Amino acid sequence: MKPLLRILFLWRQRAFSLALGVIVSLAAVGCGVALLTQSGALIAGALLSGTMAASWLLRLLGVGRVVLRYFERLATHAATFRALADLRVWFFRGLAGRAAGGLGFRRAGDMLSRLVNDVEALDGLYLRMMVPLAAALLLLTTLVVLIGWRDPALAVLEGVLFAASSLLLPGIAFRAATGDGARLTAAAAKLRVAALDALTGLREVRAFGAEGRMLATVQARQAALLAAQHEVARRSAWASAGSFLCAQAAILAVLIAASAEPSRGVIALFLTIAAFEAVAGLPRAGVLASHAAAAARRVLEAAAGAHPEADPPRPVPLPQATGLRFEAVRFTWQPDRPAVFDGLTLEVPQGARVAILGPSGAGKSTLAALALKVALPQSGRVLLGGADLATLAAADVRSRIAWLSQATHLFDDTIRANLRLARPDADDAALWAALQAAQLAEFVGTLPDGLDTWVGEAGARFSGGQGRRLALARTLLSPAPVLILDEPCAGLDALTERAFFATLNDAAEGRTILLIAHRLTGVERLDRIWRLSGGRAVAAAA
Amino acid sequence: MNEAKQATKTWLRRQTALARRSAAPVAFMGLLGITLAIGQTACAAAALESALVRRAARLDVLLTFSALACLRAGLAILADRAAVTAGSASRRRLRDEVMRALLAAGPSLLHRRHSAELASICIDRVEALDGFFARWVPASLLAVSGPALIAVAVLVADPLASLALVASGLLVPMAMALAGVGAGLASRRQFAALTRLQARFLDRVRGISTIVLAGRAEDEARALAAASAELRVRTMRVLRIAFLSSTALDCAMAVALVGLALHYGHALLDGRMTRPGRALFVLLLVPEFFAPLRSFAAAYQDRLHAEGAAEALVGLPAGAIAEALPALPVRTVEARGVTVGFENVRLTWDAARGPALDGLSFRAPAGETLVIAGPSGAGKSTVLEILLGFVRPDEGRVTLNGADIVTIVPQALMRMTAWIGQRPVLFAGTLRENIRFACPEATDEDIEQATRAARLDGFAAALPNGLDTMVGEGGYGLSGGQAQRVAIARAFLKNAPLLLLDEPTAHLDPATEAEVLDSLRRLALGRTVILASHSAAAHDFGGRRIDLRAGRLAAADRAA
Repeated sequence: MKPLLRILFLWRQRAFSLALGVIVSLAAVGCGVALLTQSGALIAGALLSGTMAASWLLRLLGVGRVVLRYFERLATHAATFRALADLRVWFFRGLAGRAAGGLGFRRAGDMLSRLVNDVEALDGLYLRMMVPLAAALLLLTTLVVLIGWRDPALAVLEGVLFAASSLLLPGIAFRAATGDGARLTAAAAKLRVAALDALTGLREVRAFGAEGRMLATVQARQAALLAAQHEVARRSAWASAGSFLCAQAAILAVLIAASAEPSRGVIALFLTIAAFEAVAGLPRAGVLASHAAAAARRVLEAAAGAHPEADPPRPVPLPQATGLRFEAVRFTWQPDRPAVFDGLTLEVPQGARVAILGPSGAGKSTLAALALKVALPQSGRVLLGGADLATLAAADVRSRIAWLSQATHLFDDTIRANLRLARPDADDAALWAALQAAQLAEFVGTLPDGLDTWVGEAGARFSGGQGRRLALARTLLSPAPVLILDEPCAGLDALTERAFFATLNDAAEGRTILLIAHRLTGVERLDRIWRLSGGRAVAAAA
Repeated sequence: MNEAKQATKTWLRRQTALARRSAAPVAFMGLLGITLAIGQTACAAAALESALVRRAARLDVLLTFSALACLRAGLAILADRAAVTAGSASRRRLRDEVMRALLAAGPSLLHRRHSAELASICIDRVEALDGFFARWVPASLLAVSGPALIAVAVLVADPLASLALVASGLLVPMAMALAGVGAGLASRRQFAALTRLQARFLDRVRGISTIVLAGRAEDEARALAAASAELRVRTMRVLRIAFLSSTALDCAMAVALVGLALHYGHALLDGRMTRPGRALFVLLLVPEFFAPLRSFAAAYQDRLHAEGAAEALVGLPAGAIAEALPALPVRTVEARGVTVGFENVRLTWDAARGPALDGLSFRAPAGETLVIAGPSGAGKSTVLEILLGFVRPDEGRVTLNGADIVTIVPQALMRMTAWIGQRPVLFAGTLRENIRFACPEATDEDIEQATRAARLDGFAAALPNGLDTMVGEGGYGLSGGQAQRVAIARAFLKNAPLLLLDEPTAHLDPATEAEVLDSLRRLALGRTVILASHSAAAHDFGGRRIDLRAGRLAAADRAA
């Protein structure tokens, strides 16, 4: 229940439209019940007292019911979808705040399932739970008051049956289906992950003849999902049947009582039928609520869970200086793995061009991650412009440093959009200059769509080397005063590599450059060289 | 009418025919339920009449009423279950078909479409069809017979009322048809919006670190908000149509109820009617009369979704993959050696960008290594994609030991080739599972041998859980060189005679590159190797070298 309440709390900005939906819905339900009751009253009146109730009222109720029902549907659905759209954006923000270092062991498909399936499962929270519950409370009062006016005993019986059908049964169904809801959300996510695995890896799947295996996995996951859905459907069916029997018992009670007071009996019968009909969906909604609760838990877990590198409560303003300094840093990604750095001290003065050399696994990428506050050292300090990173806001730090990492992602968008990620206001001249510096301008110039060429999923429409250079151009385009270039020339041939370093010297005039590499070509203009080994940095000859 | 539309129609008709068979029990139970409801209403009316006229309760009628209620409850559970079964059986069948078609079409799909889009067809499209099978088809079967049954019952009590009911009931399909103009388009747009949202989100989540570190998370959140808002607007358009058809139904029911209530009121007042039970019977049946129509109207959007889904499914490439990939005695060559020949091969991916291969010819003799050099985009990867069977050449012939590659069954081709690409796809799972992917029946010993051969053993030994260490999606936790070693271990495990290497060291630094090339050299022993690369180090790999420029041979036969 708690996750659902937290989701409701997130929807507080939409309180007005959500409340409006409930009010319109109550009016529509009221009209519908009144219409049927009035029909009964008309017959009873005509038969027993020889009078006819106002027929204009009946017509008005008929029109009112039709119009109000339409607006109820419109208002409640519009409010729901607005709230769901808000939730999706909130989810993305929360996820982004916790994923500066990438998804890690989380699955992209699982996150997608949370964004799509789990958020969608929450539509029932308002539409099928809150709105009918409000109607149930209104109808319970109406039923008890109208019948209790002349026949208190019958009113109590009707009230108990109505409460059982609209409140007790949904509650029981919710509790009973708790496990099912969790299974259902998990199964849906697993199915999507399996399908995405097979489809993203279509090349591997074909090369290794894994089609049959992938299909079998999807089939098994689908079977699990269908089994979970069956279980939920079974519970829903029983819950509905229970609610139906409550309604029938209430009708039976009215029929029995009718012999004493037939006129009111007719009215009570129509009222009872209409009231129970209006809340017939609630027990089913109780089952759905357990699904919604499980979905809410998954949404909250990914977007509001623990935050390892949360900003300090009152971050220090960003200093103007951009020198980087590592002081006696000790760091390990996982406690059970050996430390990457142990007593690392090195300095990158403002405006300097510094190379960091070292073999694979010496921690060159980790160094960049620490500089960008993707991770915090276990001991020691990292300083930017003299301020400890731990006291700065992460977003501020990242506005100063642009990083070309080994895992820099190309988005399924145009070349222009991919480049502008680094600088949204860059004009075409700036884009071409960056492409020129990354030795890619000539190639892009030959493309018929130029900067508007679509890059494809993870840069699939370009070769590995072209994609890498596009990522490099993006980094060079960034206005950040500090550039960290992690193997900018991996995958480039020797000629292109030399040409790049020759232009880098001009392209990044006045900026601090931290070049991470295995070896130097000799073309680079460098102020200082550090060599990483044994978790420390050793100054080497420039 | 164009061909695609025709195909969509045919598909829908076939599915409807299949669905009718599984929905028949649901519809039958629905009819039975309506019969019971008529009986109950008759009981209720009789009980009330007795109370009104004689002020006495009729025990027999009340007992019948209770018994019928219990029967109805049980029947509803059965009908529910049957509907769920029909829906899930159809989804199982369709998802199977979709997944088979996607796997059969293979990697060339990824040149045109995002994997999230493909997954959405397999997941969401099929899921959206549940309503079609579980709700729409049974509801459409019951939409005529259900109200007709009630109209007959009312006919017995009051012919005029029956006529009025039927007349108002006929308004419903007419209004629905009016409301449904343009509905198909609205539904298609809704699904397109959903697919766009998904592809965008998946793409952004995969590169979320790049976005956050560039300080653009807020902009992306706004873009996601816009995509979400579009989905909301599109969804509301579809729903508005559904609401209109529901409103048409509400309207018809209100007209019938108010009209009949007033009619009976006057008739009873005038003394034209002496049996109030009949009036009550008819009035109480009005909601029952409209209930099947209500389900029909409510399920209308399920039909819309089915139309859109039909289009997406019909648009998939046809074909199915073999069940368990049996060991076929096919045109293949014993592991000793494969000779590869390209004869005047042309292939164009995208007409706007010119041909990727433009009349390429070369020969790679069995057991030898051929290095294909050339700048990025010269067509090196395309050569390998043809040999992997991902694409077929537009013109010319590609032969393996003289057999045209087009005539070799995919399974045989797959057995003959091992492939290492620029960036191997690693799945979330353990290192061991990722290596075993190459050959599911491999023993742990085979895997350890492949690990040693790929020089992955040293790294694995340093990990707390060795080969059982978890790797994240896309190889999280491994460096580029380590990921490439996993790919090499896969190739060792697969032990195929033709080894295709697509810039296997493109993302590696020179030191790691040298180590990886060393492992590859061992893997190359006794196999035909085609290595595409522009790296100088890779060119020292050994073997003959050809240079590609814009899909053509630039220089050849520089003996190593």
